[in-house]
Amino acid sequence: MKRIYIDEQYCIGCRLCEVYCQVKHSKSKKILKAFKKEQKDILSRVLVEEIGHNSFAIQCRHCSDAPCIEACISGAMTKNYNTGVVICNEEKCVGCWSCIMVCPYGVIKRSLASRKAASKCDLCYDEDIPVCVKNCPNEALKFKDA
Amino acid sequence: MKETEKTDYLIIGNSAAGLSAAEAVRKNDVSGKLTVLSNERYFNYSKPLITYFLAGKLSLDEVNFKDRDFYRSNNIILKTSTEITEIDPDKKIAVSPEGRIFKYSKLLIASGGKPIVPQIKISEGAGRKSGPGNYLNKCEGVFTLTTLDDAIALKKYIKENKTKSAVILGGGLIGLKAAEAFLSIGINITIIELAGTILSASFDKTASEILVGRIKKEGSDILTSTTVTSLIISGGRLKKILLSNGRELECDLLVMAIGVKPDTAFMKDAGIETDNGILVNDRMQTNAEGVYSAGDVVKSYDRLSGVFKNIAIWPLAVKQGTIAGRNMSGEDVRYNGGFFMNSVEILGIPVISIGFSSADENGGSGKTPAFAENIEIHKTLNIQSGIYKKIVIKDNRIIGVILLGAIERAGIYSGLITGEIDISEIKENILKDDFGIIQLPEDYRKHLVVGEGIEV
Repeated sequence: MKRIYIDEQYCIGCRLCEVYCQVKHSKSKKILKAFKKEQKDILSRVLVEEIGHNSFAIQCRHCSDAPCIEACISGAMTKNYNTGVVICNEEKCVGCWSCIMVCPYGVIKRSLASRKAASKCDLCYDEDIPVCVKNCPNEALKFKDA
Repeated sequence: MKETEKTDYLIIGNSAAGLSAAEAVRKNDVSGKLTVLSNERYFNYSKPLITYFLAGKLSLDEVNFKDRDFYRSNNIILKTSTEITEIDPDKKIAVSPEGRIFKYSKLLIASGGKPIVPQIKISEGAGRKSGPGNYLNKCEGVFTLTTLDDAIALKKYIKENKTKSAVILGGGLIGLKAAEAFLSIGINITIIELAGTILSASFDKTASEILVGRIKKEGSDILTSTTVTSLIISGGRLKKILLSNGRELECDLLVMAIGVKPDTAFMKDAGIETDNGILVNDRMQTNAEGVYSAGDVVKSYDRLSGVFKNIAIWPLAVKQGTIAGRNMSGEDVRYNGGFFMNSVEILGIPVISIGFSSADENGGSGKTPAFAENIEIHKTLNIQSGIYKKIVIKDNRIIGVILLGAIERAGIYSGLITGEIDISEIKENILKDDFGIIQLPEDYRKHLVVGEGIEV
């Protein structure tokens, strides 16, 4: 399957990946509307970590043996075995946060907006290329086969 | 009349461990006959979700964790309302009380836990004629809360009696989850806990005090260092309870939430070794040939204490069930152990506790001097924002965590525990708000790279 690979040396910490991720997962899909009206409700599923000049963006690794799926008590977290994408069904999620407790990358967030649900990268399954990768100005994120 | 059904794989238990095993078997063997038995009437449900049902947050149609298609697509024969009361590993059969016989090639016992029900005296009427007895059947108003049927019965009782208050016996996680459900439907609660503080096993004094404050703010009461000694009933119905401290409480609803223990009574003559749980090796195999076990019913390897323990939590049940299923269907894989962890929200406060979370600088209650050696505690407490974080470190490795109020990125800590990572170079950062992958020791960061595509 295709996954997102991180090239730390090229990350300039601009956080455009976070911005595009938020817009992509907003209702309006429009950057200004999303940030004016929905900002509190939409979380970026990609996370930029930064210390000094060192930075990188990290999102769900879509693990082959995903601990978040093992820990999920509601059956909301599942893996699509055709695409390899790990997805949280936010309708089924009860917000127990067991997935947050076990994800060694720390890339699942608590979404508290409309209802409590785990929020994580869905690899932009309805796009050819995830928006964080597509909009990275310095190619610090790559989308390719293993 | 006895009918015999033959199956290649027989799985007793239709929950986390059982269904994970079934799924794992099917990855190796698509055609072998696979039968799952459940002693309950539902096609499946998630036990941790029953308090969500009680609170009205989920309907009966929403408490399942696998959909019906799961059984179809994995070609699993599910038999509900089918109890097993006898196992004979020599004949390779499991028998129901009605005499139904299941003949298997490989058996998995994933029968889970059952509630601990203490002996309590019942007193009837004004003269208070008293005697021991099974009060769960004898008087209305006393419930356990471990199955969906328990939750349904409890809900019905509350509705019919317009119950306004409840007493919960047990201030552990099960009791607190019940408490939260009751409070969310407008029922006042009193928690009765034998220990000096609630949640003493999975949290520490500071965390417990914050949660106690929150519960009391809701108008509920917590009575510690006491327990229920007697039930006073009238007309078959609970009216009052007597406590060991001499107090008497009006009570028409009592929930037993002391804990659960492995459900092994049904296999007493099977010759399968048990010791407060079924004993298994690292392939999740019992001493009986062809018999495996996984989930809340087993004693499995605890990585943190180095001994075999009954750790009844969902993620380990899934992990163990998967290992058992793979081994039952021809693979040779090992279970490398797990450790206790729990995530729960109590009245809107998210809390996660992992491993030796209650330990202090001196080790903590019940801990040996050897345990107390090289223990370090790192903690931060912010009363205003309601955030408490604590990391227990021994020999430069994390062995316990409490996160209260802010649980973001908790899994990074469990990853460090699992990997037994030396954190000496990052200790001063470990509780910072921005703690993340970027601060992790370089070797471990590289380890995270392998196979999962991080090049940091």
